[in-house]
Amino acid sequence: MNYSAIFTALLPDLIVVVALFAALGVDYTKLRGASLTCRACAASRICGFGLVAALVVLGCQLTGSLAVEGHALGVATQGQLVLNTGTLALKGVLFLLGLLVLPLAARTISTPQVSEYFALLLLATLGMGFMVTSRNLLGAFVALELVSLSLYALTALNPVRKESAEAALKYFTYGGVASAFLLFGISYLFGTLGKLDITQATLAEAPRLVMVAYLFILVGLGFKLALAPFHLWAPDVYQAAPTPAAAWIASGSKIAGVALLLALLGPVSLPSAHSTIVPLLLLMAVASMAVGNLGALRQANVKRLLAYSAIANAGYILVAVVAFTDAGRAAAMFYAIVYAIATLGAFAVVSVWNDRLGREALIDDFRGAWKTSPGLSLALLVFVLSLAGIPPLAGFVGKFYLFYAAIHAAPQMEYWSDGLYWLVAVALAFSVVALYYYLKILKAVFVREETGEMDNSPVGLSASVAILVLALLTVVLGVWPEPVVDYIQSYLF
Amino acid sequence: MIALLTVIFSFAGALVCGLLPATAHRRIRWVALLTALLGLAAAFCCALRYTGPGMEDVIRQTWIPSMGVAFITGFDGISLPLLLVTGLVAVAGVLFTWNLDHRANQFYAFYFALIGGVYGVFLSMDLFLLFVFYEIAIVPKYFLIAIWGGAKREYAAMKLVMYSFGGSALVLIGMLALFFASGLNTFDLRVLMTVDFSSGLQAVVFPVMFVGFAILAGMWPFHTWAPQGHSAAPTAASMLLAGVVMKLGAYGCLRVAVGLLPEGAMVWAPWVAVFAVINIIYGALAALRQDDFKYVIGYSSVSHMGFVLLGIGTLHLTGMTGAVLQMFSHGVIGALLFALVGTVIYTRTKTRMLDELHRLMERMPGIAWIFIVAALASMGLPGFSGFVSELYVLLGAWAALPTWIVITAGVGVLATFGYTLAKIHEAFFRERSIGNDASDGNNGENDADYPPMTLPEKAGVALLLGASLLIGLCPWLLTNHIAGSLQLLLNRF
Repeated sequence: MNYSAIFTALLPDLIVVVALFAALGVDYTKLRGASLTCRACAASRICGFGLVAALVVLGCQLTGSLAVEGHALGVATQGQLVLNTGTLALKGVLFLLGLLVLPLAARTISTPQVSEYFALLLLATLGMGFMVTSRNLLGAFVALELVSLSLYALTALNPVRKESAEAALKYFTYGGVASAFLLFGISYLFGTLGKLDITQATLAEAPRLVMVAYLFILVGLGFKLALAPFHLWAPDVYQAAPTPAAAWIASGSKIAGVALLLALLGPVSLPSAHSTIVPLLLLMAVASMAVGNLGALRQANVKRLLAYSAIANAGYILVAVVAFTDAGRAAAMFYAIVYAIATLGAFAVVSVWNDRLGREALIDDFRGAWKTSPGLSLALLVFVLSLAGIPPLAGFVGKFYLFYAAIHAAPQMEYWSDGLYWLVAVALAFSVVALYYYLKILKAVFVREETGEMDNSPVGLSASVAILVLALLTVVLGVWPEPVVDYIQSYLF
Repeated sequence: MIALLTVIFSFAGALVCGLLPATAHRRIRWVALLTALLGLAAAFCCALRYTGPGMEDVIRQTWIPSMGVAFITGFDGISLPLLLVTGLVAVAGVLFTWNLDHRANQFYAFYFALIGGVYGVFLSMDLFLLFVFYEIAIVPKYFLIAIWGGAKREYAAMKLVMYSFGGSALVLIGMLALFFASGLNTFDLRVLMTVDFSSGLQAVVFPVMFVGFAILAGMWPFHTWAPQGHSAAPTAASMLLAGVVMKLGAYGCLRVAVGLLPEGAMVWAPWVAVFAVINIIYGALAALRQDDFKYVIGYSSVSHMGFVLLGIGTLHLTGMTGAVLQMFSHGVIGALLFALVGTVIYTRTKTRMLDELHRLMERMPGIAWIFIVAALASMGLPGFSGFVSELYVLLGAWAALPTWIVITAGVGVLATFGYTLAKIHEAFFRERSIGNDASDGNNGENDADYPPMTLPEKAGVALLLGASLLIGLCPWLLTNHIAGSLQLLLNRF
């Protein structure tokens, strides 16, 4: 095997690892005894430089100025490293979003383990990068575990709050069981396919064993993606985790999880094979949309509400996944990205406002925010309306593309249950419900005249820039989605 | 390009108004007036340059080719009156809210975002684009009502938004069904209009699309958002709601549902007519029972929109011409009535309850006479546009529909006379009822004359009443173009 080829291919990841250790090392040696803010600032800068450098290298790899022998590498590693234009770009998106999480994390340091906090964020980002580039059953599983373990630890990082430890324990127990399910399913799948590299495998038809395998895989990934009925950990974790960590759980791990789901479902692209798995996916889609949207109606805590919205949105994504077409896969991926951007932005604003309050915000605490912080209110308007699927924002195009792809798979309709018309109808009905609770947030922010108890502490330059970038991305992807859609269609699937 | 300027001016105006400081009331209102006037001027230029009967001023840009979406705008004789009425109502709305100073910058930002969306719908020749503008118009309505509205404003605003969003969900499904059934990979309305969809599909999709749009047109039994929304909304918003937003729905019914699905329309036309007649009668009877002046006008809007639906249901050139003319006519007169009740009378009497008004005829003779003229115009006084349009609709119905429907509609006209005259009496001529008189000690103060109309109010009245009178006296100014374009649409029947 050619080690220099692997080195060039993994250079971005190596840079991130170096940055991670540099952050830890500097924090342990030079900054021992320094103030929390100083340590946070240093750690976030080192991590930020690392991610920027990694992004630059990724850019070089994408443009071809740093040649990656993607195909040869994929074969040599049995699909553990599938580096092509599509996966590299997806990895770039994850690194970019990870970069935008850092300034938020640097604003609110709720833990004395500052450098560990950032190191764990980078580890999770790294794992996500491997999740989207791996098409190997075991490689993907290991990457997923890297992400999960980092996120468990991130959830537990706040030593003062008891709920944080409780939520982390819950997350860890559920997640551990889910991983066991996933691994079990993967072992069955390996047993039937006879190989770990899933790009090489297609199932002409599904024997019973494959059904069992996918049942386990879907249970396992259902946990990770917070799909109903395996969603129970999500509201608690989202609420109790430090807000930037919750944001990263909601956004980055969603993109990576969807990519992994699509990769694992790859072998069953033939109609004869997928017909056995489709009912399971349909069930999870409808259940997630119902539980997420109806559950969100009753929430007063903003982060809990966003957790339920995450459950619902995972359900929407499945609507396109069950189409089992290239358009469906592209739509699911596009929506995952668009959703991640919007939800990250929403969490970012909530994070700033939580800091100002000094506690976890209820929706009502945002009242009158348009007066005290008009810029953040406007950004939240963009993010929330994008989540609700209102044009001209990215969420609208994303949702439209999901439904488009779902119906595209079988456009003929003789009877009401033909094709996926009914599923799209269910999804649309629930998005009307969803608008209610999204507007509830905006009502507090924009309609109320009296102001809440938020103080007016500054947002900070880097956090403002991060929020601005996310808001601009949401608008631009909504007004002109063609380049990204086209890119996903041509390179990813 | 001139037609598209209406949209561009409106969105630019929204941006400028939003960016101005909230304290700069004078500047904001002049910018708002300028924006509205520019929009009206552009619409007027369109009217002058239009030769008919086809689509003119067509702009075509590729937008999202991977989903078959293009940016296509243009207008014909059907959109033209609606562009004009939007311009007129937008200008009048600014004039009647001349003294607004509470969060004025945000008010006009939402106001012109809504107007831009409305112009956009009337200009869109691509179904996707039409849908985008249709949805853009939803959210500003919520904020206009919820922030600046009157009693029960948050409830009414949420209800209105839920109804509109639910309707657009239906439209979206129908849209996707047609897109895939055509197999042409385009949302271009002009192309889709030439496709012969199978009659089974037409019969299924037509009611879905028609109801989806008709919810916003206030079709019974989905009309309940209308009176509540109108009454809770601030004056300018209720003028827009009654004047143009309800027309969005009717326009969608005509352009999309009837235009694309002629066979479906023929199957369902009798039902459309039946529901339209229910609208006419129900609206009129409900108006008769209301104590709140705004509810009276709100229900009268429901009743008048019944004529629009009846005209569409005739599928007959005369009837449909009447429907489009009625959209213009009710847009102008409905907006005027809301302005008079919501601003001109309310700011003087501080009440909208009919019980509490007395002897207005003596205390505000000028305003009273103007209101009476407007109400009679709404009732169908010859010389005003309402007479012509309702006559066209009834003539069309006579030619195309069963006699009992026409007779019932005629009864509806009588009911309109009934509530108009009864409510004019209650508001302007009735002496204070005896019970009130006895309990009221400060008669002298209450009997003072009210101040006359201000200059902006006079200008607004002149604009709207003048437009109605002009079209009432020279209906051929619009009907020639309307009928010409409708004939193209009806050629497929």
